[in-house]
Amino acid sequence: MSDDHTSEPSPSGDTGSLLQKPVDRRGALGMMLAGAVAGSQALGACSPLSGETPEEREVKVLAWREYIKGNYRFMTEEERAETIARLERLAKLRGGVDVAIQGTEAQPGVVFGYAFNISKCKGFRRCVEACINENNLDRRAATQYIRIFEMQDGEVNLDEADATFQHEVPAEGHFYLGTQCFQCADPPCVRVCPVGATWQEPDGITVIDYDWCIGCRYCMAACPYWARRFNWSEPEVPARDLNPNQHYLGNRARKTGVVEKCTFCIHRTRQGRLPACAEACPTGARVFGNLLDPDSEIRWVLANKRVFRLKEDLKTEPRFWYFTD
Amino acid sequence: MTHRRVGAILLCLLAAGPVSGCRERPRPERGASGIPPVPATTVPVDSATAARYARLEPGMLGAVQAMPVEGWAGPGARPFEVARRSAVLEAGHAREFGRVTLPIALRAGSAALSQYPCTSCHAGPRLVMGKERIRDAHNNIQPRHPEQAGAACSTCHAEENVETLALRGGGRATLDESYRLCAQCHFQQAKAWAGGAHGKRLDGWEGRRVVLACTDCHDPHRPALQPQIPFRAPQLHRTGSPRDE
Amino acid sequence: MHLGPFLRTALDSATSGGRRYHLWMGGLTVLIVAGAYAYSLQLRFGLGVTGMSDHVSWGLYISNFTFLVGMAAAAMMLVLPAYILEDVDFGRAVLMAEAVAVAALIMSLLFVVVDLGNPFGSWHLIPGLGYLNWPRSLLSWDVIVLNGYLALNLAIPLYILYSRFAGRPPAKTKYLPWMYISVMWAVSIHLVTAFLLAGLPARPFWNTALLGPRFLASAFTAGPAFVILLLYFIRQTTRYPIADGAFAKLALITTVAAQINLVMLISELFYKFYWPTEHSINAVYLFAGLGDHRALVPWIWVAVALNVGATGALMIHPVRRNPNWLMPACALLFVGIWIEKGIGLVIPGFIPSPLGEIVEYTPTWAELAVTAGVWATGLFVLTVLVKVALPIELGEVRSPYLETPHGPRIVRPRATRRRYEDVRPVRTR
Repeated sequence: MSDDHTSEPSPSGDTGSLLQKPVDRRGALGMMLAGAVAGSQALGACSPLSGETPEEREVKVLAWREYIKGNYRFMTEEERAETIARLERLAKLRGGVDVAIQGTEAQPGVVFGYAFNISKCKGFRRCVEACINENNLDRRAATQYIRIFEMQDGEVNLDEADATFQHEVPAEGHFYLGTQCFQCADPPCVRVCPVGATWQEPDGITVIDYDWCIGCRYCMAACPYWARRFNWSEPEVPARDLNPNQHYLGNRARKTGVVEKCTFCIHRTRQGRLPACAEACPTGARVFGNLLDPDSEIRWVLANKRVFRLKEDLKTEPRFWYFTD
Repeated sequence: MTHRRVGAILLCLLAAGPVSGCRERPRPERGASGIPPVPATTVPVDSATAARYARLEPGMLGAVQAMPVEGWAGPGARPFEVARRSAVLEAGHAREFGRVTLPIALRAGSAALSQYPCTSCHAGPRLVMGKERIRDAHNNIQPRHPEQAGAACSTCHAEENVETLALRGGGRATLDESYRLCAQCHFQQAKAWAGGAHGKRLDGWEGRRVVLACTDCHDPHRPALQPQIPFRAPQLHRTGSPRDE
Repeated sequence: MHLGPFLRTALDSATSGGRRYHLWMGGLTVLIVAGAYAYSLQLRFGLGVTGMSDHVSWGLYISNFTFLVGMAAAAMMLVLPAYILEDVDFGRAVLMAEAVAVAALIMSLLFVVVDLGNPFGSWHLIPGLGYLNWPRSLLSWDVIVLNGYLALNLAIPLYILYSRFAGRPPAKTKYLPWMYISVMWAVSIHLVTAFLLAGLPARPFWNTALLGPRFLASAFTAGPAFVILLLYFIRQTTRYPIADGAFAKLALITTVAAQINLVMLISELFYKFYWPTEHSINAVYLFAGLGDHRALVPWIWVAVALNVGATGALMIHPVRRNPNWLMPACALLFVGIWIEKGIGLVIPGFIPSPLGEIVEYTPTWAELAVTAGVWATGLFVLTVLVKVALPIELGEVRSPYLETPHGPRIVRPRATRRRYEDVRPVRTR
C-alpha cells in the first residue's frame, strides 16, 4: 500500500463529494465489477433477449407464492382455493398434465373405520397394486403404503413375519395380515410434529400438508405402526400413469424431503366411494365405512366379530381392526 | 368312370354337407373376450319369480343391475341389493384405479362357462337333449363342491330347467338369486354376507348398498380358492436415489 | 464506544497466529468446504444421498446432535462454581468452557438443519410467521431451549469480555441472574432432548424413564473431559494460567459422572436382558446382533470397553493428577461416550422397525463429509472464540479509549480521524 495517508477511505466519508473520493486500484476494480453485475442483471430481467419465456416467469411467480403461503389448516376458503388453483396450473406448466385437485372437506357425522379379515386375506397384494396406481406413489423408489405380512400360524407375532414373500399364495402354515396408516384416534405423529404440518381431520383421517412439512421425520420415529414414508429423492410418476383425480391433502404430487402416508384415499372416500385397497381386494377381506352410522358394515363387524387391534397397550386407539371369519 | 360322373358325385357330396349339417342350433355368440354374453333377461319360471323381478331397478352403479335381496337384511335391518349377473361377470367386475383397471372379484379368470346358456343344448328336462351330444361337453365343469363327496348336478340345478336353481323344499330360484341356494347350507357365511363381513360391496361405503352375488366370487362347480402369484414384494432397501444410478 | 475496537481486535486476534495455527484453520476450512459441497449434493438430490431409509429414518446427523447437546449442557457445570460460588480456580477455565458450549450448540443446530428434508421451510418454525406446535411437540421445546441457550451463552461471556476489554469489571447485578438461569437452562436443554426420544411409545429402546438421567450423566462425563483436554492444550501453548485445582475438580466431576453413567448402563442391561421381552429386541440387536445383522455389535462393545477402562483408570487418584495419564483417559472416555450415546443410542432405536423388519444402516460418503464439515465448523468457531478471548482475559489488549499507564491518551474525535493508528487497540504488554 502507499504511504500516502489519503489512500485510506475516510471512515466517515464526509470529506468531499463521492465523485472526488480517492480510490485505489483494488477498490476501483471492485466497484466496476459490481456495477457490471448489477447492470447485466437489470438488463436481463427486463429484456426479451434474456431467454426466459412467459411460462417460465409464471412458474417462478407461482412457485414463489406457493413458498410463502401458510399452513393449509389455518387458511381461509379463498386461500385454499387459490393455492389449489396455483398447484393445478403448476402441474400443467411443469409437467403438461391436467389435474383436478379437490379441497373437499369432511362430511359431518362421518368418522371412518376399517376392518381387515385375516382369515380371508390370502396375500395377493392386489390392494398394494391398486394403492400405488390410485395414489401416484413414487415409481422409482417403489413406495408402498400397504404392507402385507405373511405370519406364522399360532401367534400374532410381527417379529416372526415376513412381508417380502414372493411365492404362490396362500402358503401352508401361514396367514396374512395387512398394515397401513390406521388413522389413530390419538395419533402420536400429530402430537410430535413441530410445525403442525400433520393433523387429524374431523372425519378421522390424519392428513399432511406437504408444503408445510419441513422433513424432520419426527413423526416417522413416533409412529408405532411404521405407516409413514419419506421422499428421499424426487418422486417420479410417468405422466401416462398419473391419476389426475387428486386431493390437496391426499394424492397430489409430492416433492423431495416431505413425509407422506395412506389417507384412506381421501379423494375417493369424501365422495362416498371406497378406498382403492378395499375396492380392489378380490377376497373381500377389507371392510370400510362410517363408525358413526350404527347401521354400517364396519359397525356390524365390530359388534358381531371378535376383533383386535395392533399394539392396543400403546393407547393410540387405531381405527383399524382385525377379525376372523 | 367318366370325369363328368366323378365331378357330379363330388358336387353332391359337397352339397350334402351343408344341407345335412344345417340345423336350428343357436350358436352362442362370442364377445370380444371370447366369452358368450348373458342374454338380456332371464326367463322367470313362475309368478313368484316374476314378481321379484318386477321390482328390479336399473343400476346406479354403472352397468351393474341390482335386485333386492329377499330373506336377509343388512345391518340395522336395512334392505340391500345384490348385483345381477351382467355382461362383465366373467371378466370379474373390473374397476379403474388411477390409470389401471383391475378385477375386483375373486372369480376373475377362473374357468368360464363357454357353453352358456345351458338351454342351448338342454332343451328342457336335463337328460333330454335338444340336439346331438357334443363331444367333450362340460369338460370345463369339474364338479368339486364339496371337494371330497361331490354334489350331483341335480343337487342345485332344477330338473325341468337346468338354468334354474332348485331349493330344498321345492322352491325355485334364478341364477341371479344364487344366495338363496347357497345360504341353505352356508348360513354362517350368508349371515356375514348380509352383515357386511363377507363378500364385496360395490363402489361406495354410503348410500345404496349393492353387494356382489355368491357366484361372482365363488365358482359353484369348483369353489375352492386357487393359489395365485402375488403382486411384487416391497423392497426393504431404499433404491431410486439418482446418485445410485 | 468500545464496540468498534472490540470487533477489530477480535478480527485481528482470530486471523493472526503461528504456522500451526494457520495449518489447523486451513485444514478445518478444507473440511468445511468439502462438507458444504456434500450438502449441496444433498440439497440437489434429496436426503437419498445419505444412508437413511424409511426404516432407519434418523442416522449420523441426529446421533451427533444428541451427543453435542450434551456437550453444550455440560459446560455449565463449570459456570456454577465459578460465578456463583466464586471459585477462584474455576474462574479462568469458565470462559473456555462457555466457548465449548457455544461451539457445541452451533454444531447441534447445524446437524438439525442438515438433517431436514425441507430446510428452506425452516421459517415455518417461527411463531408468528409460521406455526410452532408448542407445548405438545417436544421438538418445539427443543427449538426454543436450544436457541435460548445459545443466546445466553453468547451474551453473558461477550458481556464479560467486553467489560474487561473496556477496562471495567463486569457488573455482577447484570450477569449473575442470567447465570443462574443459564445453569438451570443447561439441565433443561438436555432433558428436553432426552424426552424427545423417551416420549415415543413406538420406540421401546428409548421409552424408558432412565433415558433422561442417562443423558445427563453421559453429558457430564464427556463435556468436562473435553474441557480438560482443551484447557490442557491452552496451558501448554499459551501463557493463560490455569490452576491445577481446576483440572483436579474437572477430573473429579468427570469421574463421578462416568461412574454414574456406568451404573445406569448396568441397570439398563439388567432390565433388558434378565427377562427379555419383545421390547428388548433392539438391545439384543445392539449388543448381540440378530441373525446376520450385526453391524453395531463391535462398535458398542468397543464403547463399553473404553468407558469401563477409562472410568476405572480415572478412579485412581494418581491417574487423575498426572496429565500424561489424565489426557488419554479423557480422550478415550470422550470417544466411548460418543459411540454409546450417538450411534449406539439413535440407530438401534430403529432396528428392528416397529413392525419387526430389520434394515441396517451404513452412512454414505456424502453423509460422512457433511458430518465432518459440521464438526470442522464447530472446531473453527471454538478456535476463533478461544483465540479472541485469550488476549483479552490475559489483559494483553485493551480498548484504546482507556487511560494507559503512560498517561492519558489523546484521541481525536471521529470526525477528524483519518488513520487506523488512531483507533486500533493498544497493546499493554
